[in-house]
Amino acid sequence: MVKIYIDDREYDVPAGMNLVDAAKWHADNDIPVFCYHPKMEPVGMCRMCLVQQGAIEKDRATGEVVLDEHGQPKVRWMPKLQTACTQRVTDGMVIRTNTAEVDQARQNVIEFLLTSHPLDCPICDKGGECPLQNLTMEHGPGMSRMQFQDKQHLDKHVPLGDLIYLDEERCIQCARCVRFQDELVGDDVLAFHERGRRLQIITNSNPGFDTYFSGNTTDICPVGALTTADFRFGARPWELTEVPSIDPFDAAGSNISLSIRLDRDFGGKAMIKRVMPRQNESVNEIWISDKARFGHHFTRSENRAQSPMIRNANGQLMQTTWEEALKSVASILKAAGKDVAAIAGSQMSNEDLWALREVMSAVGSTRLGAWPITHAGADLVAQVGVGVGSNLGDLGKGDAVLIIASDLEEEVPIWRLRLKLAKERGVFLAVANARHTRMEDFATACLRYDYGMAAHFLSNLRAENPDLAQQLAQANNLIILTGAEGLSLDGSRALMQAAANFLIETGHVGKPNNGLLSTFPGPNGMGQYYMGFTPENTQDIMINPPKVLIVAQADLYHDDPSASQWVHEVETVINLTLFADETLSHEAHTILPIQSFAERDGTFTNGERRVQRFYTAQGPIADALPAWQVLSRLGEKLGRGKAKLSAATVMADIAKNVPAFAGVTYKEISNVKRQFPDVGGRDLYYGGTAYQNRGGLGVQLKTTAESGEAINTAPVELVNAPRSQAGQMLIVPTTVLYNRERTFLPSALMHPRVMMPYAEINSADAAKLGIKSGDVVEIVADTMRVRVKAHVNGGAPEGSIVLPRHLTTEAVPMTMTLGRVSKVD
Amino acid sequence: MNQLQQKYQDRITHTLSKYPDKRSAVMPLLYIAQEEYGWVSPEGIDQVAEICDMDATQVKSIAGFYTMYSEKPKGKYWLQVCTDLPCALRGADQFHEDLKAYLEVEEGGTTADGMFTVEHVMCLAACDKAPMLQCNFHFAENLDMDKMKVLIEQWRNEVNQQVNGSR
Repeated sequence: MVKIYIDDREYDVPAGMNLVDAAKWHADNDIPVFCYHPKMEPVGMCRMCLVQQGAIEKDRATGEVVLDEHGQPKVRWMPKLQTACTQRVTDGMVIRTNTAEVDQARQNVIEFLLTSHPLDCPICDKGGECPLQNLTMEHGPGMSRMQFQDKQHLDKHVPLGDLIYLDEERCIQCARCVRFQDELVGDDVLAFHERGRRLQIITNSNPGFDTYFSGNTTDICPVGALTTADFRFGARPWELTEVPSIDPFDAAGSNISLSIRLDRDFGGKAMIKRVMPRQNESVNEIWISDKARFGHHFTRSENRAQSPMIRNANGQLMQTTWEEALKSVASILKAAGKDVAAIAGSQMSNEDLWALREVMSAVGSTRLGAWPITHAGADLVAQVGVGVGSNLGDLGKGDAVLIIASDLEEEVPIWRLRLKLAKERGVFLAVANARHTRMEDFATACLRYDYGMAAHFLSNLRAENPDLAQQLAQANNLIILTGAEGLSLDGSRALMQAAANFLIETGHVGKPNNGLLSTFPGPNGMGQYYMGFTPENTQDIMINPPKVLIVAQADLYHDDPSASQWVHEVETVINLTLFADETLSHEAHTILPIQSFAERDGTFTNGERRVQRFYTAQGPIADALPAWQVLSRLGEKLGRGKAKLSAATVMADIAKNVPAFAGVTYKEISNVKRQFPDVGGRDLYYGGTAYQNRGGLGVQLKTTAESGEAINTAPVELVNAPRSQAGQMLIVPTTVLYNRERTFLPSALMHPRVMMPYAEINSADAAKLGIKSGDVVEIVADTMRVRVKAHVNGGAPEGSIVLPRHLTTEAVPMTMTLGRVSKVD
Repeated sequence: MNQLQQKYQDRITHTLSKYPDKRSAVMPLLYIAQEEYGWVSPEGIDQVAEICDMDATQVKSIAGFYTMYSEKPKGKYWLQVCTDLPCALRGADQFHEDLKAYLEVEEGGTTADGMFTVEHVMCLAACDKAPMLQCNFHFAENLDMDKMKVLIEQWRNEVNQQVNGSR
C-alpha cells in the first residue's frame, strides 16, 4: 500500500494501481474518462481524464520530506496537466481534480469532442445511458462555439457485420471497440482508417465484424456510434427495466440483464428488448457472447406451446385445462405402476428438476435421465471440480490449464475469452484435440491424438508426454477442462476419470482454481446431476423404454436420429415443452406448455457448480406455467403433499434433501458485494457498459474434496473407440455455437451467421472419394441419413468426418459413430 | 502463391528478409501493390495481408493512415503539385490551376484516357525550384506550362511506345 493525496485528502491504495481506478475505488472520486476502460490497457487518447499531478518533494540526500514555510510538505507539481489513466499510483503522489485548470481542461475536451458530434440525443439509442451525454452535462461548456454548418456529415448506417452498425458521425475515436477486439478477443478485425478529423473505424475483413463477442463493443462504446441490429431504435434506455437473469445457453452461466418494457409488439406485456451483460467477475466479468445477447427471440416464438393438450380417443390433440390435463396425467402415472421414466433437458432449472424427481418418487421410479447424453462424469465434477472461490480471472503465471476434447470457442465462448486472457497473463495453456480448434491459436502447447483416444491420451500422459505431464503436475494451480468431442458416453466417462485421477494424483483438488471443469451442454448440466438425472439412466431408458415416459424440455427428435425408434416403443409420452410443433408432439399423449427462463424465476447450476438465480422478466405466453409449478401440482395429485407456491420454497426443499445444496437459500444466492472494476454504478462514464449486479453473485457448491472427505482415484475404464475401416469413416459430431436448435432458430437476425449444413472432410479422403469442396455429400450411419456440403480442408483428420450437430434438419448422432460417405450427383 | 508473389517474387523475398517478422514488411509490400495496380486496390490489400499473415483490416488501416498510399484509382502518371506558400510565391498555385485546365481535370481527378491524375500536396522540400511537382514520386522542377506541355507529350509517348513495344 502507498499513500496518495487526492484533493488534499490522504488515501491508502495498493502500489501500482491505475490512478483512475484508485480514485474511483478508494476515494470515490470519479475522474471522467472516454477511452480508458478498466478491462483494457490505457492509451490516453481522449484527454478527458486530465488532472493536476504532483509529488511530495523529498530531500535527495536525506530522503526527508521537504517542508514549506508553513511547515507543510512541499509539493512539486508537473508543469502541465497529466492524463490520469496512464498513471500508476506511487507513494506521495498528489492529485487535484477540482481546480479551475482541470475544470477548464475537461470543458475544452468536451467542446472539442462535440465539434462534429450530432446533438440529437433524443433520437440516439445511447441517449439516457450515454457517457458523452452525462459528462457533457457535468463538465461540458453548455454552449457551443461551433457553427452547425461546420459539422462533418458522415455515413450513419455502416454495417460492420450482420449484427453491429456504425454511426460515423457519433464516433469519438476512443478505440475501445478496436482494443476490445484486439486485446480481449484476439480477432483484430476492427481498425482505424485515415487520420485526423477523418479518422474512422473500419473493418476490411471477410466476413466483416463477425466474432462471437461483437455485441460487447456496443456496451463499451461511450457514445451511440455502435449499435446492435437487434436493439437499434428498439426502445429508449430510460423506458427499460433491468431484470437479472442467466444465459440459458451454456455451462458458463453468464450473468445477464434482460431489459424489458411493456410493448405493443407483445400484446402490451413485458417484453425483452435487449440482453445486456451483468457484472460477475468470477463468471463472465462484464462480457457475454453474441448467442446470449441475441438468442432471446425463442422465448417469443410463434411456436411456443399455448395450452395443455390431451390426445382423445380418435388420436387428435385437444386443448384442455390445466386441472383436466394434470388429472389425466396423474391417472396415467398411477395406472403405469412403476414403469415410468423421465428425461429432462439441461435448460430445466434446479427447481424444475427437483419437482420432476418428486413426481417420479411418488410413482416409485428412479429412472431419471438427463438430456442430451454427450457428457458423462458430472459426479466427478461434484467430487473434484474447481474449488469454491475459483475464478478463471485469477489464474496467472505458474498456473496451468489443459483443454481436452473440446472446441471451446463453440461450446463455451466465455471460457474461451477468459482463458485466452489467462494465457496472456502467463498461464500455461495446453489444448489437446484430434483436430485444429480456434483455441489452439491462443495455446502455449497444442497436442494431437486420434479421435476416440482422448482418455487413452490423458491416462498415458506421463509415459507418452512426460514434459507436458510435468508442466501440468508442477503448476501452482491446475484446471483440466474437458469436452466430449469424438467420444462415446463411455469414452467421455473414461476421459473424466482420467482427468480426475491426474488431478488427484498431483494434488490439484479441493482448493480454488484447481480441479475439473466440463463443457456440459446447456446452463444446468450440473443441476441435472445434483437432482439425480444422469445420461447413463437415459441410455438405459433408450434400451428398455418404459410404459410411460415424461419428456421435459428435451428435444429428442432433433438431438437423436434413433429417437423415432425407441420413443415409438413407449406407450404414453407426456411432454413438458416450450414449443408446440416439436416432432415429439406427434407421439405425445399429453402436452404441457411450460415457461422459458425469461418468464419465471429459478436457478441454474453452472459448470463451476455455482448456483445462480434468474428472475421473472417477460410476460407469460398463454397458459404456459413454470415446469416446477406444473410438476408440483402433479405431485400433489399423486399424494406428495401440498403443491409448492414459489420457486424459493422448492429450493428450500432441495436444500433439505440434496446434501450439496445444504444451506443454500434464494437469499444467499441473491447476495451481492461491490466488485472491481466498479462499472454500471452511479458514475457518469461507464453508463450502458454492463449492469451492476443487483440480482446476486450466486453460491458455489462445495466439492466432496473440500468437505474433508478422502478422494481416491479410480481405474479408468478405457473403451476401444471405433476405427475407420474399408468404406467406413468415423462420423464425429461437433458443436457449433450458431445452429438450428429450437431455442436459437427463432432469432432471425442470426440466420446469416448460421452455416449451411456442412461436413469437414480430409483432403486425402476427399481425393479417394472423388469429393471436392462444395459438393453435396450424403452421410449414412445406422439411423442417420443427412445431406450436407463438403468442406475439404485440413480440419478433419484422415479417416474422419467432422459433422456439426444441429445444422441439419435431420438429427445427427450425439456421439461418434461409423458411417459411409458418398457424393450426391 | 498469389499474383503479387508470382510477379515480384524476388523483391518480396528480399523485402521479407530485411525484417524480423513478416508483419514489419507491410509498408514496402504495399508500395509493390501500389506499383502493380496503380493504387492500393482491394486485391492488393488482400494479397499483402496474406503475405504478411495479417488481418486485411489492419493492412487497410495502414494504407489509410499514410498519404503516399493511394486508396483511389490513379492515372498512370500521378502529378502532385506543391502549392504551399513558398511555392505559391513563385507562381505554383497558378501553375496548378493552368495544369488542371490544360488536362481538363478537377482537383484530384484523372484524365479521361487514364493517363494523368492531378492533385495538390503539402511541402515537398523543393521550394527553391518551384513551381515543381512530383510525378510517381520523382521530382520535376522549375516548371512552367511550356515545359510542362513538353513533359506531358513525352510521358504520353512513353506509354504509347510501351503499348506499341508490347505488341
